[in-house]
Amino acid sequence: MAEPSGAAGEPGSDEPANRSADGTGDRMAALTSFFRERPRLRTLAVAGPPYGVLILFFAIPLLAMLVVSFQTGEIGGPWTLSNYTNFLSSETYLSVVWKTLVISVQVTAIVVVVGYALAYSIVRFSRRTTLLLLLVILPFWTSYIIRMYAWINILQSDGVLDSTLNMLGLPAVSLLYSEPAVLIGFTYVWLPLAVLPFYASLTNLDGDLIEASKDLGAGPIRTFTSVTLPMTINGVVTGVILVFIPTFGSFITPRLLGGTNNIMIGMVIENQFKSAFNWPFGAAIGMVISVVVVALLILGTRLGGGLFETGGEGA
Amino acid sequence: MIRTGRVARTVERLAQAHASRMAAAVIAVVIAFLWIPIGVLVFMSFADGGVLSFPPDELTLRWYRVFLSNDAAMDAIVTTLTISVPATAISVLLSTMIAYAVNRYVFPGRSWLQLLATLPIIVPLVVTGISMVLFFNGTLGLSGYVSVVIAHVVRTIPFATLVILPTFLTFDRGLEEASKDLGADELRTFRQVTLPNIFPGIVAGGLLAFTLSFNEFVYTYFVKGSGDPTLPVYIWNQIRYNVTPEVNVISVVFLVLAVSMVLVAVSLTRVELLARR
Repeated sequence: MAEPSGAAGEPGSDEPANRSADGTGDRMAALTSFFRERPRLRTLAVAGPPYGVLILFFAIPLLAMLVVSFQTGEIGGPWTLSNYTNFLSSETYLSVVWKTLVISVQVTAIVVVVGYALAYSIVRFSRRTTLLLLLVILPFWTSYIIRMYAWINILQSDGVLDSTLNMLGLPAVSLLYSEPAVLIGFTYVWLPLAVLPFYASLTNLDGDLIEASKDLGAGPIRTFTSVTLPMTINGVVTGVILVFIPTFGSFITPRLLGGTNNIMIGMVIENQFKSAFNWPFGAAIGMVISVVVVALLILGTRLGGGLFETGGEGA
Repeated sequence: MIRTGRVARTVERLAQAHASRMAAAVIAVVIAFLWIPIGVLVFMSFADGGVLSFPPDELTLRWYRVFLSNDAAMDAIVTTLTISVPATAISVLLSTMIAYAVNRYVFPGRSWLQLLATLPIIVPLVVTGISMVLFFNGTLGLSGYVSVVIAHVVRTIPFATLVILPTFLTFDRGLEEASKDLGADELRTFRQVTLPNIFPGIVAGGLLAFTLSFNEFVYTYFVKGSGDPTLPVYIWNQIRYNVTPEVNVISVVFLVLAVSMVLVAVSLTRVELLARR
């Protein structure tokens, strides 16, 4: 769909409208008037290439995954439902899904509470907003694996945490390869990301509303539950989505920090593609994750609006 | 609606009396939580002793020398750059087109374009990663390098668009109208009026896209096949199979790169832009 436009658009963006060289100028003028008279083509020339790239290299691969998940053994094999039935009838896999769900919910809860408290503190009580925001988001831009590696340094037995506890005369905990280690790791990577929507929604909140609520006799808790939280619920829902979904699909953190007792669903997929080489089965698990993600997104958009309205009525 | 028990009343009194102190404490604790691990990495990169013993016996630059003379690590850096540089250029071009189209034109499917440009952030990386392997290797028969560059473009478009789009919104369109009234066509207006005005946003978007691409792991890990490892893949192999203190040094390289890139990007736009969705 982008081909005619791409061919016509590219020389235009490379060659400037050169007035001194008459030939080029004429051609440019002809080209621009050609596009001016055809607004649809012009739009296609600008929107078409990125549209094409995202459809061909992002949307269609996801559809390809759906197709492959119904094939046996290898790509192009006969059609089957066995990838799904095998997965859904296996207690091992279902317990992995459950574990993944539990960890994701815990991580989301921790990140939302801590991140919201942080964003609230920055917006309402701090003057150096830009500096603090920068300090919060900078770690997000370093390598994910490096950030996990930092926690290996800290949490392993005789690592930084144990040595520090030791110096204080406390017993060692050696947290590496445990569920708390996984929770800490996830909290660490997603906290900066979640603070952004919380911060954005809290900045948009009119501070006078909070004052008004207090003037009308509501205490801090009442003000928070019936003014601040309902007014910023969209930011909270966005934060939940930004944390829950990547946690649910993650394999790096549980692989590096969780050890063998904290298998998550993303690790099972990685295994299908990196050592078991059963791609259709891996694709089916990918579809299972996608279904959970889509369900959560729909729930999130509904919940965001719904909670907002109830909040409005209460206030 | 809310039962105001004795506990709640105590909390309220505490909140009223110490609100700003509590806020300062929250900020201090969270920022310490975010930066202590990074400080530990930097500190450990100077540790002399064997692998990961804390506290180290002596401080040294030995691991930096080891890193600089390690051909595998240097090759990984070169591999990463040969992927990140073209991927960033393509991504910035496409993101600018998205931002321009979404801002200036009304067309059917406009909101779908915005959705498509946001979705790669939301779909779990592992899902997109395997779907790319299936389609690129299985259906298109694309080889390592090309497919990794494409994967990086898809990965970075949402973030570049997120930064570039607001610069179009804040820029005064009256200037464009004036340019057109004075006889310049749309293309000339874009080059001489629009582009100079949105240029800081484009550079910032490019820097963030480059940082993201340089750090990219999941897509690369699945898509690259037997291709050369990028630096993050190299580190992954190091951590999983043979940890040497050299990894600490590579971490510092990543940190310095990320911090400098993001600081330049932020100075070009405003930090709040990153918070806008």
